[in-house]
Amino acid sequence: MSVMVRRRIVSRIAETLCAGAVLLALVPLALILFYVLRQGIGALNIAFFTEMPKPVGEPGGGMANAIVGTLILIGIAALFAVPIGCVCGIHLAEYPDTKFSSVVRFAADVMNGVPSIVVGIFAYGIVVLPVKRFSAIAGGIALGLLMLPIVVRTTEELLRLVPAGLREGALALGATRGRAVFTVIVPAALPGILTGILVAIARVAGETAPLLFTSFNNRFWSTNLGQPIASLTVQVFSYAISPYEDWHRQAWAGAFLLVAIILTLSILARLSVRGLEKMNRP
Amino acid sequence: MKKLIVLLVVALFAMTAAAQNVQINGAGATFPFPIYSKWFSEYNKLHPNALINYQSIGSGGGIRQLSAGTVFFGATDGPMTNEQITAAGFRILHLPTVLGGVVPVYNIPDVNAELRFTGKTLADIFLGRITKWNDAAIKATNPNVNLPNLDITVAHRSDGSGTSYIWCDYLSKVSPDYRKTVGVATAVNWPVGVGGKGNEGVAGLVKQTPGSIGYVELIYAIQNKISYGSVQNAVGEFIRASTETVSNAAAVAAKQMPKDFRVSITNAPGKNVYPISSFTWLLVQQSPSDRTRSAIMKDFVKWALTTGQKFAPELGYAPLPAEVVALELQALNTVK
Repeated sequence: MSVMVRRRIVSRIAETLCAGAVLLALVPLALILFYVLRQGIGALNIAFFTEMPKPVGEPGGGMANAIVGTLILIGIAALFAVPIGCVCGIHLAEYPDTKFSSVVRFAADVMNGVPSIVVGIFAYGIVVLPVKRFSAIAGGIALGLLMLPIVVRTTEELLRLVPAGLREGALALGATRGRAVFTVIVPAALPGILTGILVAIARVAGETAPLLFTSFNNRFWSTNLGQPIASLTVQVFSYAISPYEDWHRQAWAGAFLLVAIILTLSILARLSVRGLEKMNRP
Repeated sequence: MKKLIVLLVVALFAMTAAAQNVQINGAGATFPFPIYSKWFSEYNKLHPNALINYQSIGSGGGIRQLSAGTVFFGATDGPMTNEQITAAGFRILHLPTVLGGVVPVYNIPDVNAELRFTGKTLADIFLGRITKWNDAAIKATNPNVNLPNLDITVAHRSDGSGTSYIWCDYLSKVSPDYRKTVGVATAVNWPVGVGGKGNEGVAGLVKQTPGSIGYVELIYAIQNKISYGSVQNAVGEFIRASTETVSNAAAVAAKQMPKDFRVSITNAPGKNVYPISSFTWLLVQQSPSDRTRSAIMKDFVKWALTTGQKFAPELGYAPLPAEVVALELQALNTVK
């Protein structure tokens, strides 16, 4: 057997193994999507989006309050995490090698690894206990704390993707450093930064643990930020552990909606980052 | 123009109505969650301004959050201990709302018969002393069942639970050994077995494991279609749990109800009484500073104890006997 043939065979085997591994990795995703879709599609109807939860024994009902609640919670979280995270990310990208930057970067990475339940307990300790009330704000802050490191790191990474020529051009035309950053580099990286925010939102939208003891849950319609608020994840959790078929179906529908939201956000994120990548490869 | 004014007035009215809404938050036991959510929804239909929001985070969690002051009322399947009440620092009233039964559930391949257990047998199984399904002790009460030579897998709760409290409370009453080695608490050190989280966790374990035995609230056994056995009561009858036999246990207890309603009704004497029965309690503050909420809470409890009881059986709960309701309505008058 010649060397060439042997090499070709080895290469073929390696390729097959790689392809097999990729398929194996995709199987769980496909199975999850398929299973949640199959279980959830039955309970998914207009009422699910427009009606309030009904007690056991009454058919129908929906999760209108939980859907709105989840949106409000994400809104509060984004309001809190996006400005801080973006400014932080810009700093890291602009001054990448200072001691302070490496400390901030390390802190963000550590924060990223903190289990979400710990963040929930933290928010319970600093927001819920002092005012003695579960509230939407507490839940939003917990989610915001989870979003923050993701926004910081993605903003930094994506600002660095902006071609150096853009910055040099701006500086050569006499722009100050601040002006170059905020009118040239950040706008160029904007799709990427938006992606980071979307990824961060997708990450926290599916969180249950940090909400259990912060935003709590609410059977009623409530948009009061100082009161407990319903969320899809907690509602799914409390339905899933109940003994009733009816509630299980609703839980599946809620799970399906959550997966759909997160999938959509992820796809949006992919699409918007594509623009940035194109710019980088002229 | 006229339309605009009408619209404005309507909007204003809607806003003031929203402002008058009173939201009351409560948390606690998982077991009564379905009926509580039914009650709060029905009560809300009668009193649109009263939004009582109850979340099932477990009996232990309910006691903790009530003590921390983050919720206005709590709920539990096992009464608060004296230490817990002292630690809370304010006066708390225990009010029984409905009753539940805990049943031994099992999964033995090819055995569809309803097994009969004595309390002692159950205690020995959970102590790890009886390890085979064809043990003489189990055979003795089930002479007509062909029990296999199969290892017993014990399934218990892994989380702090009112259901465990009731189960251990009963087994401790019928077996001194059980009292000594395991004891009574919402979370205990189990000598044998595997843990599942929540009633649904134990139900799932039993459904999936041939040769397993566990304990769940009656409603979970019925809804999950798992076989559950009858248990020998204090007068020697083998009784299958039902809303009726569980209610009977409460009727027996009503005659010697302590003033604070913290009473165990497991192994209650009397005919046709299911021995592993228990009240589930609402924990209400006796004199909270928020009188508006307190008044609503008081009115709600009154409604739940009277009109509300009719919702219990259809959801698998045993309603309170009339004697207990009368005592509670008296006690409720002390709430400010």
